[in-house]
Amino acid sequence: MFLFVSVYLISCSSNERRSNSKIILWSSNNTEEIEYARYIVNEWNKNNPEEKVSFQPVPEGQSSEEIILAAVVGKTTPDIYSNMWEGDVEAYAQAGVLVALDTLDGFMELLHERCDNSAIEEVTSPDGHIYQIPWKINPIMLIYNSNIVEQLKLSNPPATYSEFFAAAKEFQKDSDNDGYIDHWFGYAEVLVTWWQRFFDFYPLYLAASDGAPLIKNNKAAFNNEAARKVFEFLRELYKNSYFPKERLSARQDVFLDGVIATRFTGPWEISHTEKFKPSGFKYDFSFMPVPDNHKGPVYTYGDPKNIVIFKTCPNPNLAWKILKFALSDKNDLKFLEITNQLPRRKNLDIDPLYADYFKKNPKMKIFAEQSKYVKGTDQSPVLKEVFDLISQEYEACVIYGVKTPEEALNDAEKAVNLLFLK
Amino acid sequence: MKKKITPYLLVSPYIIHFLVFVAFPVGFSIYLTFNDWNIISPMEFIGLGNYKRLFNDPIFWKSLSNTLIFLLIHIPLQIIVALFLAEMLNQKIKFRGFFRAAFFLPVIVSGVVVTILWQQLYGFDTGLLNRLLVKLGLIKIGWLTDPSWAMPSIAVMATWKNVGLYTVLFLVGLQTVPPQYYEAADLEGATHFQKFFRITLPMINPTIFMVVVLSTIGGFSLFIEPYVMTGGGPLNSTISAVLYIYKQGFFYYHMGYATTLGLFFALLILSVVMIQKKFVEKDK
Amino acid sequence: MKKLILYISLTTGAILFLYPFIWMVSASLAPESEIGNLIFLPSQISFGSYFQMFDKIPIGKAFVNSMIVACAVTFGVLVFGSMVGYALSRLEFKGRNLIFYIVIFTMTLPFQITLIPQYILIVKFGWVDSYAALIVPYLMNALAIIMFRQYFKTIPQDLIDAARIDGCGELRIIFGILWPNSIPALVTVAMITFMASWNEVLWPLIVIRDENLMTMPQLVTLFAVGGRAESQLGVKLAAATMLALPIIIAYTFFQKYFIQSMASSGIKE
Repeated sequence: MFLFVSVYLISCSSNERRSNSKIILWSSNNTEEIEYARYIVNEWNKNNPEEKVSFQPVPEGQSSEEIILAAVVGKTTPDIYSNMWEGDVEAYAQAGVLVALDTLDGFMELLHERCDNSAIEEVTSPDGHIYQIPWKINPIMLIYNSNIVEQLKLSNPPATYSEFFAAAKEFQKDSDNDGYIDHWFGYAEVLVTWWQRFFDFYPLYLAASDGAPLIKNNKAAFNNEAARKVFEFLRELYKNSYFPKERLSARQDVFLDGVIATRFTGPWEISHTEKFKPSGFKYDFSFMPVPDNHKGPVYTYGDPKNIVIFKTCPNPNLAWKILKFALSDKNDLKFLEITNQLPRRKNLDIDPLYADYFKKNPKMKIFAEQSKYVKGTDQSPVLKEVFDLISQEYEACVIYGVKTPEEALNDAEKAVNLLFLK
Repeated sequence: MKKKITPYLLVSPYIIHFLVFVAFPVGFSIYLTFNDWNIISPMEFIGLGNYKRLFNDPIFWKSLSNTLIFLLIHIPLQIIVALFLAEMLNQKIKFRGFFRAAFFLPVIVSGVVVTILWQQLYGFDTGLLNRLLVKLGLIKIGWLTDPSWAMPSIAVMATWKNVGLYTVLFLVGLQTVPPQYYEAADLEGATHFQKFFRITLPMINPTIFMVVVLSTIGGFSLFIEPYVMTGGGPLNSTISAVLYIYKQGFFYYHMGYATTLGLFFALLILSVVMIQKKFVEKDK
Repeated sequence: MKKLILYISLTTGAILFLYPFIWMVSASLAPESEIGNLIFLPSQISFGSYFQMFDKIPIGKAFVNSMIVACAVTFGVLVFGSMVGYALSRLEFKGRNLIFYIVIFTMTLPFQITLIPQYILIVKFGWVDSYAALIVPYLMNALAIIMFRQYFKTIPQDLIDAARIDGCGELRIIFGILWPNSIPALVTVAMITFMASWNEVLWPLIVIRDENLMTMPQLVTLFAVGGRAESQLGVKLAAATMLALPIIIAYTFFQKYFIQSMASSGIKE
């Protein structure tokens, strides 16, 4: 009985999809992104009634990544998915379920017009094709409590490791004299989960190494001076209790409370802070701290989300036309306005079209500047696992202090290279 | 005529089910261990690649040693506590049913509930145990955050959860000991301890063996507790073999490698149970 | 004197085993701020945690899912188990011993070896995110077969012969004659199967991704492990209470049967 019902339901849903529209788009579950998707879809359908597109937010589940995988396995993928994390793309590309976008008419032109060369290089797969369109980024930067920085008599928010240590030492205190420190200069979750590294290790590594890769040619490429310095930096922070080892996430917002003075976070923090900040609270953003002898611009992790077209799409060229429309400079502006997330477009900080938005949202300006020096992830099908292995060594060295940075990185390198062992 | 084929008709659903869900998976398992596969791409034959990886994989071996640590703490603890409780229940007391029911309650409740509850006990900052320690003027212990404490903490929790079942089993075993033996011993002036070690233990040897085997198999299946409580940390001290296999198969989608781990682990379990049969059963 | 110590120890033990559950229910009904310091009863009953929980996760749906799956599996195991148990215990046919050994074999086979290929089968059948994936693999249970076989052996042959003379088909014999006379076995198998199915988490975690189809323990697990209940202990405890409640309620009424079933199943092993 159940067998028949489930088979029937599965076949039912796949037939429904095609009835009204030529192209099906899945957006993320984020409220603003849904609003944006709705806007784009309506605008397109207004002007192209013969070639309608429909959209739905990605179905609810354990994580959107799992839902996509389930869809790929069950062959129920949408035509366009607009929120794929860059790190996931390569696995699907190698599985042959994504359309090679560079083969589509007009793709390379738009790509060069919209994105800078480093971004284009970044999204090119090892096989030379491009399977994703850079869509949006949320660069990780340093948020800091301006009042506290003032109190500490600093001329600028700490930019190098030494400045950071000095400020942290000043700020650290045990306000209730119970023998345990309760005010720290910064905070990074001590989770061992692989994605936590995107908020501590990885952006610092990119800053210290000017955007170096973690993997290159199927081998670990991260066992270098930059990574060592980053591990050391973080380890010292925990060792000296400049960062708390306990998890503070169960409490009221510790940044707004002044319990911590800085965090590594992205532009999404702005709307949250604006909503809940106590009166008189001043904050701003700065670049990720770098090793003392660092020269040049400061890179960071951009948390890039990209758009892909699945091979199950009946008309990739039409899908591409829709995306071209969505990625025009005017629609990119609309995206910026609706979601307050940066489209991955070059010259965002100097293009006059966007000047008005940044005047109204001055805190976003620095993110636009940062967008010139942003890296995503390396194109590898085992990226998640690489981060997991690095996280485990991170735990041993940085949080528990049982390994030196050299040992930790050596072990991580060995473990990662084992992944490519066949 | 009809009678001849009826038995076959009756067992046919089972046979079909067996072939599909047992025989095929076991065979396919073995085949899969020689391949690299992530479900969405075609399978790639890699010969002994997975096995090579298995032997070089420090985390897998850690997971095995974690499981061993778990068993070494859990099984003896289980036996001692269960036997102790069963002995008490075996005395002439009122409300036996109530006590037995109380001890048994954790057995039937989902492991998830038990884990969530014990997390509150073990929490570093606000957990009940640490709050108690601080009140007594002692220092807090990282029950789940200290690599040396984490697995033992889980082992104690698992004992709490399952001991009721084994208490009941021991109770049944204890009740099969003929009272004449005890009476005879009483006549000779044997103490309670002497009676226990000379009569009770040998008589319930089969029950002890069963408890050991069941706890072992249960211990090898350890999954939900570390999954919920620690995610395998800290420093991989609580990652059980099943949790690691799950991670490899359903987090990274290394189907071939995960199957290889599963096969190896299954063979390990079978060998351990067989060894236990030889030693524990014969011993006493 | 000795008796007093005995009772004190037993009571202490009982408290050790019961208190956490009492605390859990208490804390789930307490206002969020009190949970940290709660020992026994909250100062006021607040259903806030429960409202939030119902808001965040489809726990009602999960309950229904668990019910459907557990009932279907239990029913299937009773039916198929008795069919095979009957054939093995009372019918003569070639291959009877072979099948018996196969049954024993499956009992000793660790699940770790079939886990992944079974998942792959589910994927190939297109059963991911379906009740079929949760039910079908569990329809046959070796332990149940062995128990039925054991029990049916004790039923007097005359009963069966009489039924045959009356013209009863084999199925009629199983369900009409054997079942009414095997209530203890039926109850035992039903309880064990239902409980095991209800509490199963690993398999649903593997084959169900869609939130609307998740079973209760699965949903509560993800809720506890994932970020959605992160800081709110009360909500987590409310979910845990909901998960434990059905079994505990059943337990309070059928406690004797629960204990007996599990004890006898252990002995059979």
